[in-house]
Amino acid sequence: MLRDITLGQYFPGKSIAHRADPRTKIVLVMLFIFTLFFVRSWPSYGIMALYLAVVIANSKIAPKLIFRGLKPLIVIIAFTGIFNLFYTPGRELMSLGPVTVTWEGVETALFLIVRIVLLVIGSSMLTYTTAPIDLTDGLERLLSPLRRVRVPVHELAMMMSIALRFIPTLVEETEKIMNAQKARGADFESGNLIQRGKALVPILVPLFVSSFRRAEELATAMECRLYHGGEGRTRMRQLKLTGADAAAAAVSLVMFAAAAAVHLLG
Amino acid sequence: MTPILELRGVSHVYGAGTPFECKALDDISLSVGRGEFIGLIGHTGSGKSTLIQHFNGLLRPTSGQVLLNGADIWDKNTSIREVRFRVGLVFQYPEYQLFEETVAKDIAYGPTNMGLPEEEIHRRVADAMQAVGLPAELGGASPFALSGGQKRRAAIAGILAMQPELLVLDEPTAGLDPAGRAEIFSLLDSLHRDRGMTIVLVTHSMEDAARVASRMIVLQNGTVLTSGTPSETFSQAALLEKAGLDIPQITRVMLELRRRGYDVDPACYTVEQAYQALRAFRKEGM
Repeated sequence: MLRDITLGQYFPGKSIAHRADPRTKIVLVMLFIFTLFFVRSWPSYGIMALYLAVVIANSKIAPKLIFRGLKPLIVIIAFTGIFNLFYTPGRELMSLGPVTVTWEGVETALFLIVRIVLLVIGSSMLTYTTAPIDLTDGLERLLSPLRRVRVPVHELAMMMSIALRFIPTLVEETEKIMNAQKARGADFESGNLIQRGKALVPILVPLFVSSFRRAEELATAMECRLYHGGEGRTRMRQLKLTGADAAAAAVSLVMFAAAAAVHLLG
Repeated sequence: MTPILELRGVSHVYGAGTPFECKALDDISLSVGRGEFIGLIGHTGSGKSTLIQHFNGLLRPTSGQVLLNGADIWDKNTSIREVRFRVGLVFQYPEYQLFEETVAKDIAYGPTNMGLPEEEIHRRVADAMQAVGLPAELGGASPFALSGGQKRRAAIAGILAMQPELLVLDEPTAGLDPAGRAEIFSLLDSLHRDRGMTIVLVTHSMEDAARVASRMIVLQNGTVLTSGTPSETFSQAALLEKAGLDIPQITRVMLELRRRGYDVDPACYTVEQAYQALRAFRKEGM
C-alpha cells in the first residue's frame, strides 16, 4: 500500500531531537554522513550505531516504524551485498564453479550493508523529527549566502515546500483514483509488463489532470495574495538556536569525534 | 428471499499497530434487499465511505462477513473482480476518474474489463448514455470537453454500463448546482422505478435521502444509529438532532412545536406532511 511509505514522513514530538533547530539538524546529519564515509572499522560503526540508538531513544519514535522505513530499500541493500560478496578479490572462502566468495568479499559486503542501513536510518531521523516546512526553512537559511551569486534560494526552497506539501495529497488522490478504477474492474496485479504498464494509464491520466488543476489553483491563490518571491519578504516563524541545539550538537560532535578517533588509532 | 448484500458484524480498523490506529466501523450489520432504494446517511467521518468500500471488496473487514447473494465475497472461490462488476460503486466526484479519449471509450472501460464481446459493449454504452441522458453524439467527444454535470453523468454511465445488480453512489450531487442536483435525483428515481435497480445512496443530507429513499440507514461513529422507512426514521427526530444530524427544517419546526406543548406528530419531512399533521391536530383540538 502507498500509505506504508514512511521515508520522508514526520512523526510529531517534543524531544530534543524534535526541538533542535532544523539548521543544526541538517548540519549534524551532513557531519554524520561524512563521518560514516570517513571511518571504516567495526568499533567506529559500533559508536555510530550507538549514536543512532541514542537519537532514536530520545525521539521516542517506535523502532518498529523506523525499520519499516528500510523495507523499500531491501533490494538495493541486497544487491550491494551480493555484488561485493562475489566481486572482491582476496583469500578464497568457497567457490562454486566460476563464482568465488572471498573473506574480503564477506567483510566488504557486511561493511557496506551496515553503512547503508546507518546512512538511511540517520538521514530519515532528520525527516522523522522535522516538519517538512521547518526543513525547507532551515535549508533556505543555510543556503542563503548563495543568493550573492544569484542562486534563487528562496524560490528553490518554495518549490521544495510546495512539492513536499503535495506528496500526501497526491498519494491520497492516487489511492482514490485506483479505487475508482478498481471498482470498474481494473486489474493492476496480473499480466505481463506491457499489460501492467497499460493498466496504469487509467490512473496516470486523471492524476496528471488533477495535478495541473491543483497547480493552477495554487498559483492563482498565491497571486491573489500578491506573492512575488523572496525579495523583501519577512517570515512569520523566526529560527532561533536554543539549549536543545547546544545539547544535540554537543552529544553528536563528541560521538562523531570518538568514531573518527577510534578509526584513526585502530 | 436472500438479500442482494448482507453485512454481518463488520468492523474495520485503519492503520492497526501504528500511532494512527483508528476504528472506522464497529460491528455493523445490515442488509440490502432486491429493489430497495436505501439512503445511507451520516456526518463526515461517520464511516460512510469506509462502509461502502466493503460492499464491493475494495476494503477487507478487520472482522465480520460481507455476503453477496448469500456468498461470502472473501471466500477463496469468489473472484473479487466479479464482485466489483456486480456491485457498481460510484465514488465521490466520479468525474475525476475519466481518462479516455472519448466519452464512449471511457464508458466502455468497465464492460471491456468484464471481457464482453464488442457488440455487447457497444449496446451497453449506448444504453448507459441514454439512461443518464447524454445525447448519443457526445459519445465521440473528449470527456474533458464536457460540462461539470455532463462529466458526472458520463462517469455514472461508466458504472451503469457494467449492469451491476446493486448501484452504490457516494454523494453523487456534491458540488453540483440545483439544476444538476435535480437531474441526478430524477436519474436515480427513474433507474429505480423504470429499471427496478437496487440503489444505495450515500449522503449527509437527510432531506435528500428522504426525498428518494424507501429506507434510511443512519450511521454515527461507525455504528448504525437508526434504520427504517423515512417516517420511522424521523419519528426518532429528537435522537437524530442530538446526534448532530441536519434534520429537515420542517421536522425541526414540528419538534419545536412539540417541545412547546403542542401534541403534533413530528415524523414529518415534507411541508405537505406537516400541513396534514397540523390540520389533524387542529381538528382534534376543536
